[in-house]
Amino acid sequence: MAEKKSLGKEFTKGLIAENPVFRLVLGTCPTLAVSTSVSSAIGMGIAATIVLLCSNVVISALRKVIPQKVRIPAYIVVIASFVTIIQLLVKAFVPALDTALGVYLPLIVVNCIILGRAEAFASKNAVLASALDGLGMGIGFTSSLFLMATVREILGSGTFLSGIKDLLAVFSSDITFNGFKIPFLNENPLTFFVLAPGGFFVFGIMIALSNKLADRKGKPKAELHGCASCPMAASCALIAEDKNCEEVKAQ
Amino acid sequence: MKIALSLLLTAILTNNFILCKFLGICPFLGVSKKLNTAAGMSAAVIFVMVLATAVTYPINLLLVKNDMEYLQTIVFILVIAALVQLVEIILKKYMVSLYNALGVYLPLITTNCAVLGVVLLNIDNGYNFWQSMVYSLGGGLGFMVAMIMFAGVRERLEGCDIPKALQGLPITLIAASLVSMSFLGFAGLVDNMFA
Amino acid sequence: MKKFSLKDILIPSLALFLICTVATALLALTNGVTKEKINQVALKTAAEARQKVCADAKTFEEKKDSNGNTYFEAKDENGNTVGFAITTEDKSYGGAIEVMTGFSADGKITGVEILTIDDTPGLGMNAKKEEFRKNYIGKNGALSVSKNASADNEIQAITGATITSNAVTRCVNSATDIYNNVTGGEQNG
Repeated sequence: MAEKKSLGKEFTKGLIAENPVFRLVLGTCPTLAVSTSVSSAIGMGIAATIVLLCSNVVISALRKVIPQKVRIPAYIVVIASFVTIIQLLVKAFVPALDTALGVYLPLIVVNCIILGRAEAFASKNAVLASALDGLGMGIGFTSSLFLMATVREILGSGTFLSGIKDLLAVFSSDITFNGFKIPFLNENPLTFFVLAPGGFFVFGIMIALSNKLADRKGKPKAELHGCASCPMAASCALIAEDKNCEEVKAQ
Repeated sequence: MKIALSLLLTAILTNNFILCKFLGICPFLGVSKKLNTAAGMSAAVIFVMVLATAVTYPINLLLVKNDMEYLQTIVFILVIAALVQLVEIILKKYMVSLYNALGVYLPLITTNCAVLGVVLLNIDNGYNFWQSMVYSLGGGLGFMVAMIMFAGVRERLEGCDIPKALQGLPITLIAASLVSMSFLGFAGLVDNMFA
Repeated sequence: MKKFSLKDILIPSLALFLICTVATALLALTNGVTKEKINQVALKTAAEARQKVCADAKTFEEKKDSNGNTYFEAKDENGNTVGFAITTEDKSYGGAIEVMTGFSADGKITGVEILTIDDTPGLGMNAKKEEFRKNYIGKNGALSVSKNASADNEIQAITGATITSNAVTRCVNSATDIYNNVTGGEQNG
């Protein structure tokens, strides 16, 4: 699939055409969970992008050294190490983000996007291409989170970028800008949108819109078909070696 | 006893892993098409969750004792992965009937964030061993309740006339939104029951 | 499949072992670098919260009451006690909630800070907003939550988050108990 693609394409495909969230339907758990505020969405996106970039580079560099049999545990170790490093750094320098993301920060380990890219791309491609792929996918993930969070925060809390001060404190503690208040909505927020059902709802509408756009370009819809495109395909094809997937499908 | 019951009900109803905490969304959307698949998958999740908690609890004590909490994530995910493989091998060899029922779902569970999630949440919440076990059981049961309920909803959706733009995944998510909304109704139930 | 040669087992396990070792070493290194900073952050957050709930204080002294509860006595520059900062815990909608309550020397609440909370964004999380927390300021004695607070010892509930409002109030009430225990004990002794 990735035989003669230019490097630029490796980068840009993750942004729209193969957007991990809206097109490949991967990483749904963090997408729904941290999109209640734009600030935490950006923080989550950046953390996941760094992990994705680093793990893609390392896995690609080690692809000829890692024995086939233990590649999945090896990938998991690499990913988990980067996640822990990020976690420690966030705790030390952006404590507010650690509070906001809570258990979802260590859970980046099981984000299907990262293991999925490791297996599907980094294990087969050169370092530079893998780095660009990771960066593109990461930015695609971040922008999807940003989009979801923008809708949910504006409608659900009547604010935009609230709490951004704590993120910007990494660069300078003098920044006082702490987001906008949306007139009217701030006094009368539609709380539904920041609650769990609102997350599912906004995500559903977003997928519908992205399907519509894809349809216009003659591309297939984002779908969950058995194992082939189910969000677990990455991990399940990895570990179950397809065999079990066929059984699941057969049932 | 009271604490245990309150923990159990909280994990099943008010803080349902899938519908309120968004843990384990992938299998929730991917494997909930048929009722029996959903039931098999959830049974396997309950099994692995409880087992993983039982195994990781002493490991965590060891890590904390040696001042190595920073290894939690990496150790837990490896332990869960190894555990799942081990259980699969044992079941395949000695309990074929159980393997046929659960075995196919086991490999899918390693990267299920609900399992790693429950282990990490137990530590975050500072539960002792029995509380952790009860909370994991509750989390797993909550997973099952949501999966089975949603499988029922989806089977109904099959025959419906859905607007073209919403067909497939979008309507599934909107249905999930409605199911999740119904779980909001449980808010306060547990507290008032045991108040 | 039945019989593995030694090479088949040894090389993969050795490779995995090496990767694990390198990973652990890297993590230990990062931990060494960040540990100090993380501890500092925790201390700083707690100190800032104490300063917020007892704005008049210059220094704080950590003490334990007769029941073993930790509390902080706030002192001004002359070493006179001007208040107390007491941290209490309870169970809220999304799990544990930790609240620090500040008291003036005459037992009025001077500030309430939510230290940890894991409730629903948009509902329970509103407890962190000042509009809710300022409800407590100036009050004393046992407080209760009401949807239409009118009496002096009533706290206006957060819309849609009665459980969180109750949890915060329970925390404040148990802080008041500790305060009474501390000051009552001092008067008697």
